[in-house]
Amino acid sequence: MFYRRSGIRHTRYQSERQLFPLGFDRFLILSVLAVLLAAPFLFDRLYVTGYLLPWLIWSSAALGLNLLMGGAGQVHLGYGAVMAMGAYGSVHLMRFGAPLELAMIAGGLISASVGIIFGAAALRVKGIYLAMATLAMQSIVDFVISQTPAISGGALATLQAPPARFLGISLSGERETYYFALLVCAVITLFMLNVRRTSFGRALAAIREKDYAAEILGISTLRYKLMAFWVSSFIGGVVGSVLAICYLRAVSPDQFHLDLSIQILAMVIVGGLGSVLGPFFGAALVLFAPILINNALGSAFSTFGMTVPIDLRAHLPLVAYGALVIGFLLYEPYGLAKIYSNVRTYLLVWPFRHAQR
Amino acid sequence: MSSTEAPVLSCEGVELSFGGLKALKGITFSVQPGEILGLVGPNGSGKTTTVNVSTGFYRPNAGRVRLFGEDITGIKPDRIARRGVARTFQNLALFKGMSVLDNILIGRHIHMRPSALGTLFYWWWAQREELAQRRVVEDVIEFMQLQDIRDEPVEVIPLGLQKRVELARALVSEPKLLILDEPMAGMNQEEKEYIARFILDAREERGVTILIIEHHMDVVTAICDRAIVLCNGEIIAQGEPRAAIAEPAVIKAYLGERAARRVGMGDAA
Ligand SMILES: Nc1ncnc2c1ncn2[C@@H]1O[C@H](COP(=O)(O)OP(=O)(O)OP(=O)(O)O)[C@@H](O)[C@H]1O
Ligand SMILES: [Mg+2]
Repeated sequence: MFYRRSGIRHTRYQSERQLFPLGFDRFLILSVLAVLLAAPFLFDRLYVTGYLLPWLIWSSAALGLNLLMGGAGQVHLGYGAVMAMGAYGSVHLMRFGAPLELAMIAGGLISASVGIIFGAAALRVKGIYLAMATLAMQSIVDFVISQTPAISGGALATLQAPPARFLGISLSGERETYYFALLVCAVITLFMLNVRRTSFGRALAAIREKDYAAEILGISTLRYKLMAFWVSSFIGGVVGSVLAICYLRAVSPDQFHLDLSIQILAMVIVGGLGSVLGPFFGAALVLFAPILINNALGSAFSTFGMTVPIDLRAHLPLVAYGALVIGFLLYEPYGLAKIYSNVRTYLLVWPFRHAQR
Repeated sequence: MSSTEAPVLSCEGVELSFGGLKALKGITFSVQPGEILGLVGPNGSGKTTTVNVSTGFYRPNAGRVRLFGEDITGIKPDRIARRGVARTFQNLALFKGMSVLDNILIGRHIHMRPSALGTLFYWWWAQREELAQRRVVEDVIEFMQLQDIRDEPVEVIPLGLQKRVELARALVSEPKLLILDEPMAGMNQEEKEYIARFILDAREERGVTILIIEHHMDVVTAICDRAIVLCNGEIIAQGEPRAAIAEPAVIKAYLGERAARRVGMGDAA
């Protein structure tokens, strides 16, 4: 219906391989981008800094994890630790006077180099053992950070992020911060979109689908798994530093515990493994569903005149969100992005129903 | 390549056991440049295992494997691929969730320089390479007559075509040695003849040497220059295909002792 494919005739491979060959897709993307760009002028600042900004940052993190999980098929339960290394690394560098641009890249490099060491050890094992190994990484990194005063300033200390400038623009204002996060998110998104049409991304997908077939095509599985770990950890580190500098503005060890890893993992799974759109959906759902559920429950309880212990009310959203993850794993393993793509396919072939895609 | 005389592939006394089971009991054979060599034998005789040893998936317990005269025993499959070997699998090994085109493009891996930075700067870096490789891939797509389905997800096309895509993926890497593990399994006569044609053309146009495992004896006698017959991990006959599969030991292996005797008597009479 909206997605009109007739009349599109590719005469060059280049146009056939463009990111969004369909006009309507391009229109949607540009509209969303326009709204995001205009958001600070359209919406209340509470919404921009309280909702959009974290959404962008968490989506970026989920995109990074999705490269490893959806792209290369490797589980990682310690992504929060990866982000912690980037966050602490860049905050320390900036306290030493390094510019943000450099600190951010350095944060990424720190995460990537430590991440790849754990990766190299972890990749000797598969599946559940890999999950355990990355979980161990989370605990070790947590421990090292909180127990090393030189890094964290003590287990309960918070470390202030110094004021940052990006390309000469001060990031102390809320608008500037928002645009900075948007830029980082856009770059990561573009990278992830391109992954699907380059030999790098195909090699990752090949080892995910059939590692032995990939090998005899000349793809070294260990090498590409390590590359996936490296790139994914690098993105994690960069996003960690953005999180610390733009959003948290002060870092403490407990912000990067297993909770964060699980949260991002849930975003990837609920959003859709291997999809670029998925992490955005997933981040929105995981970040905001608990709030909505809480509000809905609150009003429901008050209309029915029930008094619910405050404890229970605090935990109900968590229960609901656990149920959500299980529900997706059972009924739509490819997540919200798959639901979106089903709708899109439906519209693409409408009024027929049996075309494959 | 060390010299033109060196065999493309040679196995010398290759032995392999799985636990207590001796799957290969000292196999010695070689594949000569430009030939199509058939590898036949009853189920479980060790054909696939021979190929797995030759392509680095298993390390032999004894014996050596040489490629163009160079020892490749124990080298990993991805290294062997870079030395000019491509293969297909008995049970299809296509990458699900990807289009036919992307599956075949992966076959170009060894000719490309994949990198994360190149991916980030696609328009300035990776695009030119992608398009150049695409031309090579399109040649093979045309050669294998897969134009109509190049954008289909690979799991929705019929089995016969999937086998053809896998063959295309192997061919596109421009191998010097192509190993095919039952490329015609489950095909009807027409599809079989198509594949046979592709195999002959691949040798003619691209000069590949081919080692093919095949159960269809008509195909083996039609396209192979030589055949090797395996039984219980041993080579029981080799030579001109018709002669090799008619040897008493082969008939016995396929049909059993009594049938072999009957055929033998028939010949004598
Ligand atoms: N990975 C393995 N582990 C244990 N045993 C194996 C393994 N692979 C093969 N075998 C055994 O080795 C023997 C040879 O198997 P192989 O697959 O090479 O036979 P084949 O000649 O290819 O047979 P088919 O015509 O059925 O494909 C069989 O007895 C098989 O059960
Ligand atoms: Mg076999």
